[in-house]
Amino acid sequence: MTGDTHYDLEILAELAEGLLDDATALEVRSHLAICDACGESLAGLAAVRELLSAVPVTAMPLGVAMRIDRALESEAERGGLRLVETPDWDEIMKDSPWEQPVEPAPTAPVVPLAARRKKTRGRAWAMPVAAAAAAAVVFGGVGLATQIVASGSGDGGVTVAGPAVSPEKSPLKTAESAWAVRASGHNYTSRELNGPLLGYFGPEPGTGTNTDAQTDKCVAHKANELDRQPIAVDQAFYNGQDATIMAFWEDKTINAVRVVVVGPDCHNLRPEGLATWN
Amino acid sequence: MLTRHIEGDTTAFSEIVKRHRDRMWAVALRTLGDPDEAADAVQDAFVSAYRKAESFRGDAAVTTWLHRIVVNACLDRMRRKSVRPVADDELIEAAERDMPLPDQTAEREVSLEVTAALKLLPADQRAALVLVDMMGYSVEDAAAVLDVPAGTVKSRCARGRAKLAPILSHLRNRTDLTRVSSPKGAQLRDG
Repeated sequence: MTGDTHYDLEILAELAEGLLDDATALEVRSHLAICDACGESLAGLAAVRELLSAVPVTAMPLGVAMRIDRALESEAERGGLRLVETPDWDEIMKDSPWEQPVEPAPTAPVVPLAARRKKTRGRAWAMPVAAAAAAAVVFGGVGLATQIVASGSGDGGVTVAGPAVSPEKSPLKTAESAWAVRASGHNYTSRELNGPLLGYFGPEPGTGTNTDAQTDKCVAHKANELDRQPIAVDQAFYNGQDATIMAFWEDKTINAVRVVVVGPDCHNLRPEGLATWN
Repeated sequence: MLTRHIEGDTTAFSEIVKRHRDRMWAVALRTLGDPDEAADAVQDAFVSAYRKAESFRGDAAVTTWLHRIVVNACLDRMRRKSVRPVADDELIEAAERDMPLPDQTAEREVSLEVTAALKLLPADQRAALVLVDMMGYSVEDAAAVLDVPAGTVKSRCARGRAKLAPILSHLRNRTDLTRVSSPKGAQLRDG
């Protein structure tokens, strides 16, 4: 007890976990029966559990999955997996308490809108079929984790309406308001946005249109300001905030892209910066 | 059934990656509270698991094995950073200092504040709370992952919650948490 008046939080937390011996537990419970302040403290401890459990789960960002693929491929090239025999993973894991799929919570603040709509495992993609196929080809070659990404564009993606644009027809060439919008859900850091960006945005150039009129309008606005079309757009996060990340060629000959990061209101979340593309 | 589709060990390991990467990411991100650090930790963990695969015994739960590697990778990172335990006063001051901007949504604010508060806890308490309270694993499962007795997990959780309670108390009114107070209190009072 503190000052012969109340029990401290640690004692109350231990009571809640059943860690106190019977005599102490009885003593604390007797006190709780007459002490509102300690009852409030106990409720506060329960609230901590609720708060922690309410933090949403997010899928692994594409950039991280690709990094891991590359690292594991490097390991494979060095000598391959050294398992004596291949275990039957299905059998081993069938009773696992962790085999329930990870689903983003509907109210998840760090889950992209597209993912929230679909409530699918993994990330959501908003890109035309042609571009998705192109991405599947590229990512399929990477293997491992990105195999899920490629398949995710089929069952977890958002079908994009609007005119199909041939992958060969770069927005840079056509000067149409057409671009691929992805929703990777990746939480970009300033360092990552210095590039290289190809690993995050996928194959260049992205083409297509976006069904989200507000994002479309914002991208068109920025494209107009810079007098060029974006080569890639990703609906994701920047330092934990909802963000649309746009990449425009600054100087293709030196692999330089201009990166624009805006919030939902289309205002810049960071000063425009230059980055490398690949 | 899976083994029929497996051609070679690399494919077998890719299956592990596919099955577990989102969950491993969630554990690492919550434990470390930083996407860059979490990405490094998960990558280290998968590469480490790949290298240690020959030591894996088929009678052990691969999920426990993999979780343990990821959690240890996170704990190693935290310890390398020499995060010292801090006093309660410092915890509260730090939480107030890290208060999110007022224009952020309530949900995002809660999430960010919880993440910031967790980062102030000692590594062992943070790891226990991530597994039990955030990931929803049983104390026994968390104990298997952390390779400590169940009582130790309970104790770490209790101490961690006791530290977090004053820091996060102002969030109670912003979430639908009223239902947890009275029944829980009554249950404990009544034994």
